[in-house]
Amino acid sequence: MKRRDFIKILGGTLVFPVIEVPKLKGQSPNHVSSLSSHEARYYKKLPDRRIQCLLCPRKCIVGDKERGYCGVRENRGGKYISLVYGKACSIAIDPIEKKPFFHFLPGKNAFSMATAGCNVNCKFCQNWQISQVRPEEARSLNLPPSKIASLAYRYMAPIIAYTYTEPIIFVEYMLDTAEQASKLGIRNVIVTGAHVNPEPWKDILNAMDGVKIDLKAFTEDFYRKIVRGHLKPVLNAIVAAAKSGKWLEIVYLVIPTLNDNMDDIKRMSRWLVREVGKDVPLHFSRFFPMYMLKNLPATPVKTLERAREIAMSEGMKFVYVGNVPGHPGESTYCPKCGKTVIKRVGYKIKEIHIKNGKCEYCGEPIPGVWS
Amino acid sequence: MKVAIVRVRGSFKDSILKGLSYLFPSYKAWLKKYFRGKFASLKVNTLSGKLLSTTPQLSLSLAQIILEAFGDEVAVWDRQEEEMKRAGYDIKRRGSLKVIATDSPRVGYGRLRVNGDIGSLFSKIQEYADSSVSLAVLKDHDLAGVTLSMKNYYGAVHNPNKYHDNGCDPFIPELFSCEPVVTKHRMSIIDATKVQFHRGPSYHVRWYAKPGLLIMGEDPVAVDHLGWKMIEKLRAKAGLPPLKNENREPKWIFTAEKMGLGSTKYEVEEI
Repeated sequence: MKRRDFIKILGGTLVFPVIEVPKLKGQSPNHVSSLSSHEARYYKKLPDRRIQCLLCPRKCIVGDKERGYCGVRENRGGKYISLVYGKACSIAIDPIEKKPFFHFLPGKNAFSMATAGCNVNCKFCQNWQISQVRPEEARSLNLPPSKIASLAYRYMAPIIAYTYTEPIIFVEYMLDTAEQASKLGIRNVIVTGAHVNPEPWKDILNAMDGVKIDLKAFTEDFYRKIVRGHLKPVLNAIVAAAKSGKWLEIVYLVIPTLNDNMDDIKRMSRWLVREVGKDVPLHFSRFFPMYMLKNLPATPVKTLERAREIAMSEGMKFVYVGNVPGHPGESTYCPKCGKTVIKRVGYKIKEIHIKNGKCEYCGEPIPGVWS
Repeated sequence: MKVAIVRVRGSFKDSILKGLSYLFPSYKAWLKKYFRGKFASLKVNTLSGKLLSTTPQLSLSLAQIILEAFGDEVAVWDRQEEEMKRAGYDIKRRGSLKVIATDSPRVGYGRLRVNGDIGSLFSKIQEYADSSVSLAVLKDHDLAGVTLSMKNYYGAVHNPNKYHDNGCDPFIPELFSCEPVVTKHRMSIIDATKVQFHRGPSYHVRWYAKPGLLIMGEDPVAVDHLGWKMIEKLRAKAGLPPLKNENREPKWIFTAEKMGLGSTKYEVEEI
């Protein structure tokens, strides 16, 4: 469109969307919500109407009328407000394998939800149209916690997944929803980058049944330059999740030239074996060019296979290849007899040979949440 | 490079014209070159309400000058209509002088622009403008040190919250050097009729003053450098430490200079 057309349109009748964000099923203009004014948790008041957010390691000091890095928490006269409480910008029913959780109720559906916003800014973000916008720029629905839980129940989803963006930034909404969901017998899982402080993380772990953490690299340099965060708090959160006894899976998105150094992958695998154990599933996912990294190619499948070999040679028992539909590395193999205990193609389960948490062939226990 | 400090006496229009006369041997030729038959973007700052926003009379006077020089269209604009209304602007969506916002009907954001650490959507007003003027307010900023004419373009993108790390360095110059800004920016004007010289960018009466000035120049680095020095003087007068002592020295000004966006060496004339 040329400048002249734009000016004409300003005074004309055509309508531009503010930002192209996914439309929600059943959404009508009446559903588009305003911002929430729910008081946030995890902050302290400072002099001159400033506050300090204590939710994530950034610990943003936020002046009056300003927002934190996440863009969804605002200081209003010295009171910190969550602008996205009860305001879901994305809801869908996904197979749990999409998160991915491979050892958590395989084949079941997860009622998946997100609000706008994120506390990091990964240059490779796959959902940047909702994660890297402020809430007023995303179409959102008014969906209070009880409504989310009842929708999940109505659609017979045994799991609610807090996912797509960074659930840490809508912690108040997530915790209240998880409480409502638990009352209905629905499990809760979080899909997170885990760039979070210990106190809120403890509360989140208490409310969750499963945790999937994106370990985006194993170097501080990558976290600083590509993620705009820090590695150490993520590693601490992984250890805390493992100690909590909640089901944990780790995903590592392999990006050509940026975090595909096999020495780093070896160091990471050793660290995982030492700190969280050999039973934690580890997924090496394929990167596709997105957002600010459109200049890079997709990850070669051989790179993912090499990473998988290294992690397994370091002792990890359940290592997967992700985003390569039909690859044998999508399936689960018994670490004792080597037979396929869950055969997957894409997000679909083709066969399950696990009974009472054990390999159907040799009786070896397969760690996970199976029922 | 020249920077003008204009004491506002009488109308804003006269003050702007005095500044332009100092900056350009023939300001009419300058107006003709950049604004005649063009769509001009006048980016104001209306974040902090009436007391700390770009004065409406200032931006509307500049708009009038541009239209009188046969400018085609002028948009006085910021992010949100509500913020503009709170700052005293009357929204006007039709006609050759528009007072609108990115969230006005039929506006919104353009495509993703990537430049260094910047990945942003720019307001379509900035995207489609031929020439752009930043009309900022003289303010201290708790993270950037000071918020002036270059940082004013944070209000042109959808995700300004992502660019406050490390005292906004190098984000301010990197955002400024994105194509929709750097190829169109013609002038920086800082509304220094009022100033927040501590605990900004929000309003705090204790550290608020009314110097009654405008700072004008073509070079955004020079204008912002002078604005910073003015804030330091007011801070010193009030017994406050220099920004450097609070670890808030605006390093981004020097980064902008290194990136070739302007110079911290300039002539100043008080008018």
